[in-house]
Amino acid sequence: MDGRTGRYAAFTKRLLDSVLAPSGHTSRELRRAVLARARPSSPLSGTESGTGGEDIAPDLAAYVDKVALHAYKVTDEDLAALKRAGNSDDVLFEATVSAALGAALGRLERGLSALRGEASPPDPLSKVGPHPLTPSPSGRGGTQE
Amino acid sequence: MRLHAVEHGHRLPQRLKLMLIRLVSRRRVPDVVKTLFYRPEFFGGPMCDWTQAVMRGPSPWSVGERELFAAFTSRLNQCLF
Repeated sequence: MDGRTGRYAAFTKRLLDSVLAPSGHTSRELRRAVLARARPSSPLSGTESGTGGEDIAPDLAAYVDKVALHAYKVTDEDLAALKRAGNSDDVLFEATVSAALGAALGRLERGLSALRGEASPPDPLSKVGPHPLTPSPSGRGGTQE
Repeated sequence: MRLHAVEHGHRLPQRLKLMLIRLVSRRRVPDVVKTLFYRPEFFGGPMCDWTQAVMRGPSPWSVGERELFAAFTSRLNQCLF
């Protein structure tokens, strides 16, 4: 069972299509590129991943990475700066949704492939060190005391 | 809410629903609801259908167990709900 063939495949496809297919305030290519950037390649990833496609402006790319890896670090100033750079609310809405959806699908795929005992690509979060709330191997919660 | 459009830019049907939620709950509408109601054909509609199927549809896991998974995941993401 995975995002493509499992019980929820039709729901996942509809969600992907609704975000990627329509004309919007951003180009389809940009949404596709943002989603692929936020969704680390996985054995299950299909054509949506790594399409190369449109370049993402550096400031928007940094924001996409933040949303994908640690959305809780996004600040008012991040959004204000992107707006000052000429991005409308709808552009940022579409970019945020695409980034979040890509990150979510990537995690879903990694989780499902781990359940099947397959090797997964490294978790992008591992690049930024252990998550402060990651449960320890002994089974205790990871909250700092 | 950091995007003004997502805070205040809903179309009439969604704006009426948000007003109704505010009236009935007598609370501020959570940002996640405002996000799902903003341009729902783009994201919120299909996302709600997906969530409904995953969280309430047929499954070997009970609804309570699924809610616990969601709460735990949100905590790992430092997004409390």
